[in-house]
Amino acid sequence: MRKHMPAIAFRAALLAFTVFLALDTFVFSASYREAGEVNTAMFSVLSTESEAAEESAAESATAASVTKQRMLSGSRLAPGSRKKHGSGLSSDESAAGTDAESGATKNSSSLSAAAAASDTSYRDENVSITLTETEEYGTKIYVADVTLRSAAFLKTAFANNTYGKNVTANTSQIAQENNAVLAINGDYYGVQEKGYVIRNGVVYRGTAKGADVLCIYADGTMEVVSDRAYTAEELVQNGVWQAFSFGPALLEDGSVTVGENSEVGRAMTSNPRTAIGMIDANHFVFVVSDGRSSESEGLSLYELASFMKSLGVKTAYNLDGGGSSTMVFNGRVVNNPTTGGAIKERGVSDIVYI
Amino acid sequence: MSTSEIRMKKFLLQQLAATLFFAFFGAVYEAFGHGVYSYFMIYAFAFPLLMGVLPAVMQLIRGKAFDRVFLFFWTAAIASFSVGSVFRGVLDIYGTTNSLVVVYPVVGGILVLCALSCLLLRSRRLAFPRH
Repeated sequence: MRKHMPAIAFRAALLAFTVFLALDTFVFSASYREAGEVNTAMFSVLSTESEAAEESAAESATAASVTKQRMLSGSRLAPGSRKKHGSGLSSDESAAGTDAESGATKNSSSLSAAAAASDTSYRDENVSITLTETEEYGTKIYVADVTLRSAAFLKTAFANNTYGKNVTANTSQIAQENNAVLAINGDYYGVQEKGYVIRNGVVYRGTAKGADVLCIYADGTMEVVSDRAYTAEELVQNGVWQAFSFGPALLEDGSVTVGENSEVGRAMTSNPRTAIGMIDANHFVFVVSDGRSSESEGLSLYELASFMKSLGVKTAYNLDGGGSSTMVFNGRVVNNPTTGGAIKERGVSDIVYI
Repeated sequence: MSTSEIRMKKFLLQQLAATLFFAFFGAVYEAFGHGVYSYFMIYAFAFPLLMGVLPAVMQLIRGKAFDRVFLFFWTAAIASFSVGSVFRGVLDIYGTTNSLVVVYPVVGGILVLCALSCLLLRSRRLAFPRH
């Protein structure tokens, strides 16, 4: 017995460490930071820039040569920011951004009294949403076509209003707590230790993991960048309002960026999926597909990308899928989320909502 | 049958069982993984196979046996690598990470060094026997 003691002790230690690791990964939760903070500085910059552009335009009537130079210098948000930021933004849109800034923490007030809602649509002065259900590749796909007056209405929220590890809640529950008209699950940042987490203009995690990050800018545009190229703080300075670290990018400049067989490393087959895409500035599509059921097979990333391309999407990004894939519209879960073989919601770390 | 031969056969059977267990476990886990896969899960069985079964068979064919202390460190290293590989596979398939998973290969590597040191010391003892 004594000669076996070292072997027994080692096995016990290995087992204990593995159990601890499993609990640490899947069970123990940790709250790192209270969420709810909103940084709308990028909208103020847009507003100022837009006013400057209008001034320049007025001056151009009398002094065209001088104005041209001003317009060129005024087309940048901040040093190092993207050129396209200032383009095509009306003073109405930027004003909506700052309007939304004041109403950002009180969503219910942003739902105008003149809002018209049905099972498949929602309209008010700032937001227009049309929900459609289609079937492609033997899979039910739910598409929410979203047009916003400002990107400030495209918001994100954490489960239990807390940024942390293993802090989860159902998408519908988080949506309800935030008075969301439309919500989809986010990137499930809580199960990753790295990858940028920028939400509502605030940097929660600035550790790069060498992956593509989806950036939604204050001007309502969307871009996929490498997190090796910019720090999270630089992205915010450049006008990033929301950033997600999941991926991969599905479409860039209207072209499919995933191969037919080159799936995301760990998911080779069809599955429920969640994706977000941009058709034009402040014109987005939220897409959720069913899967893992007898009615719906699910989509491969290539199929998802092709489908989004058919919608006219220019930039699209894959968010957390599988059991997490959920779309909530007007308080109702519209898709069929699958968890453990049953049709029910799974807790997630975060949502994207209107 | 000598004690060392019994020890080697026991080691071989243990490693064979571990190989089959990890191969079966990985296959079942993958089958229920909705097509989400991990090479760490699929090939976890390779550690007991390559580090356990193959050397044991070779030693038995040659009619030689490993030292008891060497076998302790070597078996512990195989266990550390295999369990670490399976756990990494579970994390991959779930889509999560934990930086502490690096402990398995580090501990496994240290145990391999310990085992090889035992082997070296034993061979030196045999080369220079004490009178």
